[in-house]
Amino acid sequence: MFAQKNLKQRAIIISLIILGVLFTAFFGMRAFRALKKFDGHGPPPREKVETDVELIREWMTVSFISKTYRVPEKEIFDAIKVSPLGSHDKSLKELNNDYYPDKDGFVMDTVKAVVLEKQPPPQPDSAPTAVSTPKTPAAP
Amino acid sequence: MSEFFLTQVINFGAPLIGLILFLGALGFPVGASVVVIAAGAFSQQGILDWPSAILIGLIGAVIGDTLSYGIGHYAKDWTQQRFGTSPAWINASQSFQNNAGWAIYLTRWLITAVAIPTNLIAGGSEYKFSHFLLYDLTGEFTWIVLYGGLGYWFGSEWELVYDFISNFGGLVLGIALLGFGIKQAWNWQEKKKQALET
Repeated sequence: MFAQKNLKQRAIIISLIILGVLFTAFFGMRAFRALKKFDGHGPPPREKVETDVELIREWMTVSFISKTYRVPEKEIFDAIKVSPLGSHDKSLKELNNDYYPDKDGFVMDTVKAVVLEKQPPPQPDSAPTAVSTPKTPAAP
Repeated sequence: MSEFFLTQVINFGAPLIGLILFLGALGFPVGASVVVIAAGAFSQQGILDWPSAILIGLIGAVIGDTLSYGIGHYAKDWTQQRFGTSPAWINASQSFQNNAGWAIYLTRWLITAVAIPTNLIAGGSEYKFSHFLLYDLTGEFTWIVLYGGLGYWFGSEWELVYDFISNFGGLVLGIALLGFGIKQAWNWQEKKKQALET
């Protein structure tokens, strides 16, 4: 009885250690890989208008994309040929399933293309410094 | 699942965050951490109002935790009948009572995978509710402010933060399991040595 209990306890302890090692190795490697992705991807500056269309995801709505990329909603809805009525709260995936069920990824690709085309021109980092015009020296 | 909820957070704002964190605290796989990080990013982009998102999210999470504590509390009789006389259970309950504050606080934001078992054990081991609530509130606040803050800081790059945090949580869980296993092995060896000496 005592030996059996000891065996059970030993099995639990060994399982805990093995599981701990496996979790640490697996998630440690993944965390390290995720950390490496931060290289050159620091936080974007405040008030920056998003310009990278590769960050557009299927769960996003047209309204959200319009606000984030500062592209009028109408332009996006026109490009995908969908009426804005009743479509504001739908994700790109839902819009694709509802309007283009046989064209996989059509809405996503079209939205990316129209955002890239219509987004406002990039803002300069700082306002141009006013340069005062040199005064002509008074004639002697 | 979490993609569906992200769309709904954009559409319905803070009340939906409260609902998601409530469901997450009850153990439903709604991707609560993704939503908290994304909500931080949405606040930075001007889509969400951050003070109300924090407040409603916190209320939802704490209500969910309180309910799972309650489940543990009302299942106490069954647990006592089933395991009450087992020395391992008594030992585990005592050990939990000694470290409950840290266990509750850390499982809210650092080792979230074991948050629900912790709530159930806290409820089932007659851990004082007012103490549970205090540590729970502090832990959930840390979770929302830390994860949401990182989302806010990284804005549209928030997916990088989530990728790292989800794996880091698993890494901490692994280290905790390993540490606990080594401690148990050490205790077991000590007991064996004592038994041999006597």
